[in-house]
Amino acid sequence: MAATILIADDSRMVRTMVRGALEADQHRVVDVADGRAALAALETTTADLVITDVNMPEMDGLTLVRSIRGDVRYRFTPILVLTTENSDAMRQRGREAGATGWLVKPFDADRLRQTVVHVLKRRHS
Amino acid sequence: MSLSSVGGAKGLTTKHVMGKEVTLYIGGFHASEEPTLIKTLLGSCIAVCLHDPVTRVGGMNHFMLPRGGTHAHSPDASRFGVHAMDCLIGAMMKAGADRRRFVAKIFGGAHVLDMKESLASVPQQNIDFIRTFLVEEGFPVLSEDLGGYQPRHVQYFSHTGRARIKRVSSVQSRSRVLSREQQGQVEAPRFGDITLFD
Repeated sequence: MAATILIADDSRMVRTMVRGALEADQHRVVDVADGRAALAALETTTADLVITDVNMPEMDGLTLVRSIRGDVRYRFTPILVLTTENSDAMRQRGREAGATGWLVKPFDADRLRQTVVHVLKRRHS
Repeated sequence: MSLSSVGGAKGLTTKHVMGKEVTLYIGGFHASEEPTLIKTLLGSCIAVCLHDPVTRVGGMNHFMLPRGGTHAHSPDASRFGVHAMDCLIGAMMKAGADRRRFVAKIFGGAHVLDMKESLASVPQQNIDFIRTFLVEEGFPVLSEDLGGYQPRHVQYFSHTGRARIKRVSSVQSRSRVLSREQQGQVEAPRFGDITLFD
């Protein structure tokens, strides 16, 4: 199931790594460096899934998640948070913001791909 | 006030004349908007010091790429180097820094095992990785002291971005570095957890 996936992460090398993992499954990947650019990208690209970091300039990841959930077009779009933040308190904040899942870096490419398949299937079931 | 540190960071409560003092070990990082003296002892590992001159937030990490079964140039090994940098950058931003103003100083990558320098050696791979990373991320490198054969004591003043380096020649310090780095290799890095919400 090839999908369009939007990645928001301020690190170019992280974006390259995530892109490489997802393109191996033929997904179309759009990547941006912060939350504000992600919202702009969603105006022109219909994403099936959003993967976002938390600590980013301009707009952080949790604000991005809340903004996406406030848009009726993306109310049910899966959003995975991919971050170095690993505290339960931050996970809870992510959940409350409307994230679908919380993935702690460093990530394993195979597990990331499996998680992407899982949340995309769940969306269509 | 904002402080952020993890892993091998100790001494948070020790007062220094210019503020607090923190000692980093392999896998550790620390960033603060408070004047802090961050110290570490490096062999083949790398320490990256980042500074935002406007907010005067500074931070340092101490890492090495995993070796053994995984080649240090492989994507998997780089992933852990990227992670070490990601943690430091995240801590800097949480302390109020803006990554668009970051400047860097980099230290370490010594051939402490008295091996000949080669392109395939772990210290050289650590050096190659961090140089590539900083270019990719667009962080200017203000100064560096990399390679060679002697371990280094690094002292970094987070508020000013000033760094002091002292080469180590004593047998005791050298064996301390070797022992820590060998221990660091035994503890293989782990991937992060995945939590799916209902």
